[in-house]
Amino acid sequence: MNQEKKHRVKDIFVEGPIHPDFIATSIAKHTTRTDIGAHEIFLGQVRADHVVTSSAAEVRQPVTAIEYTAYRDMALERMTAIREEAFAQWPGMTCLHVHHSLGTVKAGELCFMVFASAPHRAAAREAVAWVVDRIKAELPIFGREVLSDSTHLWKTNS
Amino acid sequence: MTLRVIYLRAMVVQLYGMLAEAVGTARVELEAHSTHQLRQELVGRYPALDGLSFSLAVDRVLVHHDMPLTGKEEIAALPPFAGG
Repeated sequence: MNQEKKHRVKDIFVEGPIHPDFIATSIAKHTTRTDIGAHEIFLGQVRADHVVTSSAAEVRQPVTAIEYTAYRDMALERMTAIREEAFAQWPGMTCLHVHHSLGTVKAGELCFMVFASAPHRAAAREAVAWVVDRIKAELPIFGREVLSDSTHLWKTNS
Repeated sequence: MTLRVIYLRAMVVQLYGMLAEAVGTARVELEAHSTHQLRQELVGRYPALDGLSFSLAVDRVLVHHDMPLTGKEEIAALPPFAGG
């Protein structure tokens, strides 16, 4: 199973938000993998940041949703490389599941999931943190923050 | 009398995010010998891009240095990433 996951290009993108039910189902699928002792899951949620829309009037509006787009081919290539590096760095890791939303995700909904399983917790915890950081830095994913008056701003990762 | 004709390589550049919004299209065509020249051409032809931060991807890999182009590459102009 490890080899398969290393070499196949997996589509990480889902249309719309990631539903909590999906996460429960993902966890349940690992019941038969009795070599696993630890799961580590990172979930990204759209936050209602208050962004300045008029510096003169100091007007701030909450973000009501983010619309995600991506340079899909490059994102999947980058993700495949990150996945391979993760398994090389944490050879004990059993599996790694990554999902990212495209399209509209409202504030309060989930847009990003990195889920790693391993026999022991250190590998799972470290791998998830590392993969999350790499994805945020390297995947060509773009976000349009929709504001309450239906105007928008383009989001940038810091 | 001799006539010398220099062919420039016409290439498609995909635009993403705020770049596509600024220019009004996700796809432009222009001619360039190199990535630096391509960047100059892009901003020169589409002044809405002036002042916007973007990187160039050649065949799905970010390129920061001045790289020669043959015209067969897949080119994309990418604004700052916001994934995760």
